[in-house]
Amino acid sequence: MAWIVEDRLKAYQPARNEPYLTARIKQEVSEKYFPRYPNKRAALLPLFHLIMHEYGYIAAQAIDEAAEFLELTPSQVQDAVTFYEEFRLEKTGRYVVNVCRSISCELCGHQRVLEKMREIFGIEPGETTADDKITLLEVECLGACEQAPCALVNEDLHGQIKPAEFCSQLQQLPAAPGHSTTDDVR
Amino acid sequence: MAYAGPVLLKRIPDDPAQRKLYRYADYIATGGYASLKKVLAMLPEDVIKLVVDSGLRGRGGAGFPCGTKWTFLPKDLFPRYLAVNFDESEPGTFKDRYLIDHDPHILLEGIAIAAFANKISTSYIYIRGEYHHEAKLLEAALAEAYEHGIFGQKHPGTDIVSHCYVHRGAGAYICGEETGLLESLEGKRGWPRIKPPFPAVAGAFAKPTIINNVETLACLPAIVEHGAAWFKTMGTPSSSGPKLFGVSGHVNKPGVFEEELGIKMSTLIEKYAGGVKGGKYRAAIPGGVSMGVLGTDQYDAELDFDIGRKYNVLGLGTAGVIVMNDKTDLVVMLRNIVRFFAHESCGQCTPCREGTAWMHKILNRIVDGFGQPQDFDVLAELCLTMGAMPGTTICGLADGANWAVKTFLQKFPEDFKSRLKSRQVQGVAVTGAVVA
Repeated sequence: MAWIVEDRLKAYQPARNEPYLTARIKQEVSEKYFPRYPNKRAALLPLFHLIMHEYGYIAAQAIDEAAEFLELTPSQVQDAVTFYEEFRLEKTGRYVVNVCRSISCELCGHQRVLEKMREIFGIEPGETTADDKITLLEVECLGACEQAPCALVNEDLHGQIKPAEFCSQLQQLPAAPGHSTTDDVR
Repeated sequence: MAYAGPVLLKRIPDDPAQRKLYRYADYIATGGYASLKKVLAMLPEDVIKLVVDSGLRGRGGAGFPCGTKWTFLPKDLFPRYLAVNFDESEPGTFKDRYLIDHDPHILLEGIAIAAFANKISTSYIYIRGEYHHEAKLLEAALAEAYEHGIFGQKHPGTDIVSHCYVHRGAGAYICGEETGLLESLEGKRGWPRIKPPFPAVAGAFAKPTIINNVETLACLPAIVEHGAAWFKTMGTPSSSGPKLFGVSGHVNKPGVFEEELGIKMSTLIEKYAGGVKGGKYRAAIPGGVSMGVLGTDQYDAELDFDIGRKYNVLGLGTAGVIVMNDKTDLVVMLRNIVRFFAHESCGQCTPCREGTAWMHKILNRIVDGFGQPQDFDVLAELCLTMGAMPGTTICGLADGANWAVKTFLQKFPEDFKSRLKSRQVQGVAVTGAVVA
């Protein structure tokens, strides 16, 4: 829920020397995004998309670093970041399976997808498998209602899901640890 | 009424096997950017007049006349911005995604035309975060457009350089509300703003800003090519032009179909979407869940901007039709809709934040068999207290929630009342709800 502030204590990670905002991220934002807007603050969403893409979650330290970079206060950044559901403050599994639960998908049996996921991987929405491979989330409409039931696996849309097939596709994905940034899902 | 084939989907064939992505060269080869060329030789005022004359109404949900919106820009106040609303988060709506998946340049041409007509310096395409693929498509299409001088050039006769960028949202329905979108564009949380000032006066970065839906802008090339009178030959007097209809739910062939406004819903479902699946028609949502529900006897409703007045729904909305057959549990479906609003309420206004959450709670207990006799009335009363129309909230999110609940209660009261009656609470026989 957008208006519930995330639990900052739970999201606490010890500080690390190596910055989350790498020189490469800073360069991309400076060169590509700053010229697009009249002020630096407007580059906040693009910046955090880059961070999400790189790490798969947003560390508290990254928020402080972003604040310094964008010339804002950490609270201003925190305020914006916690509003958006796609910006997650906690680590997830390598593959985040966002199953759509809105009306068209419910009409077309999204529940069967969740049941199969429970049966095969033993996880409920919000949980991650023990090997940190798959995180299951239930999300609101993905804008692909003609393909209901649908799910977003990391950045790839899967439509007209047949639960058993879908789960075996997920099982075949490489299980190497770490966050997957690229389109290696398909 | 003379609809002679697709206008917006002219590059997207019915057969899925033949569909492909139109890149710049393909787009040019099929007559693309000819309208832009024509426009650049016109006066900006004449372009605005053309759009006003065409009667083009916004395709994003509210149906506000597009040309009129443009005339609200204060004279001599620059820079001006254009925000293209590609947030498309309303459940049941996927028309813009389908269009951009195959024909991104039709939008870019529309943006270029609008930018010229209104002397816009920068256009931002606000695309929802979940559309990863479409964001990449648009970035690629924009690179082509810049390469060929569609953007990055001065508007003829001015010193204003026209730019266009993609700005990705990050998963918030409320950012489809125009001022929520602007806040999000500025790098803040997407809380809708109190109006006035209206965006046309002080919008993005406190400068005059126009906000148009993707489909609205995609109509512009055709209007320029064929003229306002031609555009008006389609649709009804108050709702001119072609429209994209997305049909999903219990139909055999869900998808996006183009027809003129005013088409009967039954025609849309039977002729285009392959008929109702798994049973007979029971109910349908005409245009995204915030519009309310059409009853069993309203199968033949004409889908145009007058639908609200005629059939007791909020409006046409985004024309994302969701069909439900006679085996559907409507209470569960309403719970789904209300959960959506409770989840997506931005939390700024108390009636919406608390009201949607309470409606969800009440519907949950009705579904679980613990519905209390007064629940029907409590739901109905809640509907009257929240929203921009009763005047208790800043934006229309709560109106969407209350119209959904209100129309379900009005059109399918027995579905709810029977649940309340059938349960005995703590040994006391419940005799049934008192209904207004």
